Amino acid sequence: METQSQSFVVLPGDAIDPSIIPTTKTKPLRLGPGLRHIPPSEIVPTVSGKLIVDPRKNSMWVEYNSHRYIPSQNDLIIGQIARNAADFYYVNISPYNSNATLPHLSFESATKKTRPQLAPGQLIYARVTLANKHMDAELECVSSTTGKAEGLGPITGGMVFDISLGFARRLLMAKSKDEGGLQVLELLGEEGLAFETAVGRNGKVWVGSDSPKIVIIVGRALKETDEGDLGVDAQKKLVKRLMRDMR
Amino acid sequence: MTANTAPEAALGVLPKADGSAKYSHAGYTITASVNGPLEAQRKDEHPNEAHVDVIVRPAAGVGATRERHLESVLQSSLSQIILVKNFPRGLIQIVLQIEETPENDYVNTKLVQASVNFPIMPALFQTCILALLSAAVPMRATATASVVAIVLEGEKKKTVVDPTPKQLQTAQSVHVLAFTSHDELLLAESEGDFTVQEWDEIYETAKGICCRPQTRKSGAEMVLDEADVAGQADMRQFIRSTMEGKVAADLHWK
Repeated sequence: METQSQSFVVLPGDAIDPSIIPTTKTKPLRLGPGLRHIPPSEIVPTVSGKLIVDPRKNSMWVEYNSHRYIPSQNDLIIGQIARNAADFYYVNISPYNSNATLPHLSFESATKKTRPQLAPGQLIYARVTLANKHMDAELECVSSTTGKAEGLGPITGGMVFDISLGFARRLLMAKSKDEGGLQVLELLGEEGLAFETAVGRNGKVWVGSDSPKIVIIVGRALKETDEGDLGVDAQKKLVKRLMRDMR
Repeated sequence: MTANTAPEAALGVLPKADGSAKYSHAGYTITASVNGPLEAQRKDEHPNEAHVDVIVRPAAGVGATRERHLESVLQSSLSQIILVKNFPRGLIQIVLQIEETPENDYVNTKLVQASVNFPIMPALFQTCILALLSAAVPMRATATASVVAIVLEGEKKKTVVDPTPKQLQTAQSVHVLAFTSHDELLLAESEGDFTVQEWDEIYETAKGICCRPQTRKSGAEMVLDEADVAGQADMRQFIRSTMEGKVAADLHWK
């Protein structure tokens, strides 16, 4: 079976050459998404993608793109309130999946008496605090360490666009231009558009602006960049075209 | 259409599905969509593992007993390679739409309800695997399948891979075998009269197609290798190269 070709493209069940697995005495090896550890010492990919090995962080994972979100802890997601229960809200994070729960007290300075009243349909930006295959995911809109919202909470105005999970991951990268090859948002900003975005790891991006026209342009630029697998040069062309059409 | 055309596949053909694939080989064209893991209906819910739901739709008309049989065979073998334990109470839904078959599907197909349709199995199976890979559903391994028939030629018996519809009508027995990428037998379905020796021969033939070693041979060796299984595509290599194309397109920014 193929172990290590020039590119590390892996398929489920491929054997990974032990020589490429990073080994240090000080840090434990961290396995990211797409890998499965079969005790005692086998590491097997479960999805097809590119195997990335980071010897500095002593971690490895499979980089791939998909459409169905599987919650995992500390992910930032955009959800929609489905209904209210006694102590928590039910939040829809991806279609045809069971709802996540958002406790009423997981908001900034919320008490039993003062808590945000959210109607069904309300969008929220939240962090996943509990992701377990046997239980529904649990969310929070407040940082449990600082007690501050830190940008999380209900989102008003604007519009949500669906994107692929790989694209959402690229948008959330700290250096999305250098690491993710994404410049489209910066380019739109340079053109003088005023807008704000919130990216959910569950394949949603929210765009807000005073003018609906700008919301549509930014959303369309993001969707076209995602669906057309556009590189940096193509993103520049796309932004130019959209700006010309707007005028 | 000849039986031994090279396989072709396209991934992600359906934009709204989580994963999809269109596959054509040996006169069959099939489109599959995969959605999942989803929330299972109460009746399908299993506390410890995901339910794999396979739906086969014929090229014309509505599915009947034959399609239900194909579904049950596919369902049980796919449950073995999908990591169903990762998604308790979940559902992985696979819909297969048959688009083209070598026979004329508009006549004679539903005459004999009990008759099974083995030659379409490898195509259905391969399409499922490609669509599951496209949807990034976690799997233990990939798998490949092939159909082999024993055909009587005069007095001599001959094993034929990917038999034509005509050969099938006169075949003594027809077998479908699937192997995982770890060379394990995943599925073995047979129909007709055959001996144990014949089955062993079939097993070796099918294994030769499904489990060809991945080593890239050079020069004369490769020519020899191509010659002894003339016209047979290396399914495992085909799946790998298709996926390599998809991964390269998805991760063009990396």
